[in-house]
Amino acid sequence: MKHLFKSHMFKSILSVLIILLLVKIMWMVVQMLWLPSEGVEHKEKVGAKSLYYRVKLTPNEASAPKPVIDKPVQIAGSIKDITLVAVYNASDTTVVTITYKRKSKILGRGDVINGFTLIGGGSTYATFDKDGKTYQVNLQKAKRSSAANSSITPSSNQHRTISRASKRPGAAAQVEGDVVDAGDHKIVDKSLIDHYANNMDDIYKNIGITEIKKGNDLQGFKITFVKRGSPFAKLGLKRGDIIKSINGQEIDSYSAAFNSYKNIKNVENLTLVIIRGKKEMELEYEIN
Amino acid sequence: MQMVKNIFIALLVFWFSLLLFMPKEALYYALEKQLETKGIKINEKAIESGIFSLNLIDADIYYKGINVAHIEKVNIFTLIFTTNINVKALSIDGSLKAFVPEKIDQANITHMIFSPMKVNILAKGSFGDMDGVLDLQERTLRLDFSNTTKEIDLLRENLKKDEKGLYYETSF
Repeated sequence: MKHLFKSHMFKSILSVLIILLLVKIMWMVVQMLWLPSEGVEHKEKVGAKSLYYRVKLTPNEASAPKPVIDKPVQIAGSIKDITLVAVYNASDTTVVTITYKRKSKILGRGDVINGFTLIGGGSTYATFDKDGKTYQVNLQKAKRSSAANSSITPSSNQHRTISRASKRPGAAAQVEGDVVDAGDHKIVDKSLIDHYANNMDDIYKNIGITEIKKGNDLQGFKITFVKRGSPFAKLGLKRGDIIKSINGQEIDSYSAAFNSYKNIKNVENLTLVIIRGKKEMELEYEIN
Repeated sequence: MQMVKNIFIALLVFWFSLLLFMPKEALYYALEKQLETKGIKINEKAIESGIFSLNLIDADIYYKGINVAHIEKVNIFTLIFTTNINVKALSIDGSLKAFVPEKIDQANITHMIFSPMKVNILAKGSFGDMDGVLDLQERTLRLDFSNTTKEIDLLRENLKKDEKGLYYETSF
């Protein structure tokens, strides 16, 4: 009988095919027993975030459209007549020395001058209220140094700010602005927000935040410490507070927290829902 | 002699068939599962599997749900005795550019079976050049920086300096 193939050649090919088959079977077994059939995909939460608006229903502050009435506009600049000479501010009391029509006066919280009611202050400024609008008057010294940057600009939320904190060239990393207590809410200087939006490291020098987990699920974020006197303390945040939501967005993931942080520069109002003890609280801020 | 030759051919065939039939995508999914335990997720537009390599196209990297970086292409190449991961055009998310350099143009991570406990890292980016070693035995990572640009300042507080220049060192 004539051999079509050399037997040793046939054997070699057969051996190769057997090796290939064995390896293929080995990989199939490995794949079936230990390897996953699909990968891990990150999925963004859809539809959880709603547009956020803060609506004030107080009659005095109602923002409903009003008919245009031709009458002389009262210039809010009359606050200019008040010059702040000295200020003492504590959590429960504010005492300021002002000059008005060349006369020095000492005012306590709630006192009225030229129609403006003293409502609070900080280390270098005092805040007054008139017709539901809030005015900030800086100390005389600070005002002079920042003359170039001073402005009297009505904000969109019926508040006016006079003489903002001065901006020194080349001092971008320095914290500017302050938090002003305006009774039912607090007014946060935009420059302060901008600073923390650009310097995340500075946040963690002033406030400690840790995650709360139930098993593998993130439940929220807890404040572990707040530096005394820091802007975060002035915001009214305290150790042990649990942050539940920011502007209606539930903070139940790192992604949600980071998105809120990323958008912080673009918001005009901020509402934090926190749990303090067993009580749920809403902290409201206006960014001005 | 014939016997040695046959064994060599058999090993060669075995090695080649290992690579040929390797379920590369499934192995990559297993890697994804491992990364997930560390809070890292990768969303890629496409996975291309070759005989010796696996390509990930347009991959978004998420850390704890936050999109931290985008990579144009990742090439994972293996011959079993050597494995190379090549990362092309890694861009850090804009919101993080205040903390880390914005771009890595090219990065190479190489593992050789002859020194199994060491992984070599080479990278070139907007910060300059980087050359490092991950020592799995000593559990240390050392990254040396050269030809640095101004962007290295973002990392400077974590860097040390010696006669070779700036370096980053950590243990795990």
